[in-house]
Amino acid sequence: MKTITIDPITRLEGHGKISIFLNKDGNVDNAYLQIPELRGFERFAQGRRAEDMPQITSRICGVCPVAHHFAATKALDDAFNVKPTSTAKKLRELMYCGYYIYDHILHFYYLGGPDFIVGPDAPAAKRNVLGVIEKAGVEVGKEVIKHRAYGQKITGILGGKATHPVCGLPGGVSKGLNKDEVKDIEKMVKSCIDFAKFSLKLFDDIVLKNKDYVSLIKSGAYQLKTYNMGLVDDKNKVNFYDGKIRVTNQEGKEHIKFDVKDYYNKISEHVEEWSYMKFPYLKDIGWKGLIDGKNSGIYRVGPLGRLNSAEGMATPLADKEYKRMFETLGGRPVNSTLAFHWARLIELLYATERAYELINDKEITSDKIRNPVGEPGEGIGVVEAARGTLIHHYKLDKKGLIAKANLIVATTNNAGAITMSVRDAAKGVISKGKVDDGILNKVEMAFRAYDPCFACATHTLSGGMPLQVDIYDNRKNLCKTYKRVGE
Amino acid sequence: MKKTIILGVGNPILGDDGVGVHVAEELKKHIRKPGVTIDSAFTGGMNLLDLMVDHDRAILIDAVKLKNKKLGDVGLFGLGELSAFHTCNPHDVSLPQAVDLAKKLGNNRIPHDIKIVGINIGELNCEFGEELSSEIEKAIPKAVELVKKEIESNG
Repeated sequence: MKTITIDPITRLEGHGKISIFLNKDGNVDNAYLQIPELRGFERFAQGRRAEDMPQITSRICGVCPVAHHFAATKALDDAFNVKPTSTAKKLRELMYCGYYIYDHILHFYYLGGPDFIVGPDAPAAKRNVLGVIEKAGVEVGKEVIKHRAYGQKITGILGGKATHPVCGLPGGVSKGLNKDEVKDIEKMVKSCIDFAKFSLKLFDDIVLKNKDYVSLIKSGAYQLKTYNMGLVDDKNKVNFYDGKIRVTNQEGKEHIKFDVKDYYNKISEHVEEWSYMKFPYLKDIGWKGLIDGKNSGIYRVGPLGRLNSAEGMATPLADKEYKRMFETLGGRPVNSTLAFHWARLIELLYATERAYELINDKEITSDKIRNPVGEPGEGIGVVEAARGTLIHHYKLDKKGLIAKANLIVATTNNAGAITMSVRDAAKGVISKGKVDDGILNKVEMAFRAYDPCFACATHTLSGGMPLQVDIYDNRKNLCKTYKRVGE
Repeated sequence: MKKTIILGVGNPILGDDGVGVHVAEELKKHIRKPGVTIDSAFTGGMNLLDLMVDHDRAILIDAVKLKNKKLGDVGLFGLGELSAFHTCNPHDVSLPQAVDLAKKLGNNRIPHDIKIVGINIGELNCEFGEELSSEIEKAIPKAVELVKKEIESNG
């Protein structure tokens, strides 16, 4: 392999960058993905009051504020040696379901879905949510907007604020639910269950009934045989809010299962000179480079990682869909990166069903929402962010101030896998030097399926995915640049 | 009465990126007018639009990247006039796109007048911090004046 060094300045431009290196025949020799990383969080956190962390960390990222909020809250439970009351735990999980509902809807209909619903080769100007509505109809568009808003509203009722919650406290939550709120939420959740079913039907009709799409999903360019990771409950069913971290291997068998408190014995981070992003890997297998297979410690997280690392879903309808996906795509694990989209919709259905169970739980309106905290110490919390496993780890001093903070965020857990997926897609779709917008979109699809979130400035007025693709010839001369700054 | 919302947009723990939030805080001391709401938004795209519905007019204050301008330069822009924000959030649609979508779906609750007061912060230093750099700090009064003028001149 050729050694390629990329000027570190280019890493600071605040957008994703893919560099593709061609060989003398114009085929892809290698491809690298670089994404910006925010720095200095540990230093920023030092000396702050521990109980402020759920609010502060929810500002790290405009994409997963709720996930950071609860990873931090759970780390504080642990640090203050307290368990939340049973009602508080249920309220947190219910709110978490609301977050999954709006987040997964947003990704499927606005970001990932256009590739399928409008088509991977459609002109770039059409591959967006407006294109989706043109194809699926205005009525569907209204339903999308309505149910995304329901997810936000549920989160808002429970969290105090829709986007940046203020409810999580060590030992519980700051606010309970009254009977009127329960009625409101139940009505919204019922409607969301139907919408999740509709979304899976739409995926069936538009994607699975189209032979070309199914063969694209199954094509070699989008396969990756890594380990898979996700939180599971005591029956090895997918859980977003709590449980043990389970890792399965390339045969779908359990490789390890551990409590998050043990994460630093199980996960290490590899550093590459061309990227600020760290590459986590399984410590017992080791770092073998950007390769997949049993001997490489790289794993995947997120919707497909979760479904692959579990043995089913804990609610009936989602479990049926879980089985159907694995039957259709040849058994567990499914290695196709594009199957992330299907897995995401199955999780949407699970989130709605689970929310329905929780809102009908007789404990949900109890006023026992907080337990008194103990002495400050060290704490580790884990949740499944919509895009994968998220870990917060704090050490507190005697006054309850942060002495040390370490976070492993979801997209970082996927760093190795995303980089390989982009490289393999580029190798699969680019040949003889022919590159155009449609071909590059197929490279981006490998990346978009993960729904990556870069640590980011949150004021995305221009939104979209800012991405630059540089194509180099076999002498490493830059021969073409494609830029897309937002939409 | 015309309803106006002024939103300081940005991430308050990301240095200069949060300048819009600082301006909004300052504006609260200067503007007390019925029908005018001042708030902050640590979010973008669809969520930002949610905060603007049911207002006649929205003024957003945000950190932007302007070519051929000095750091701390301030300008008034229409929606869609700016293309180079430092955004690196792939999980959302753009505000102009969110507005287009809402209109297409017959939502008539979005403001008919959306303006952006942009403060040029150049390249974003991707480092956590609550402080603004001195050039950007100096831009706050200029941005405050611009928002006040906009409010006064257009009712």
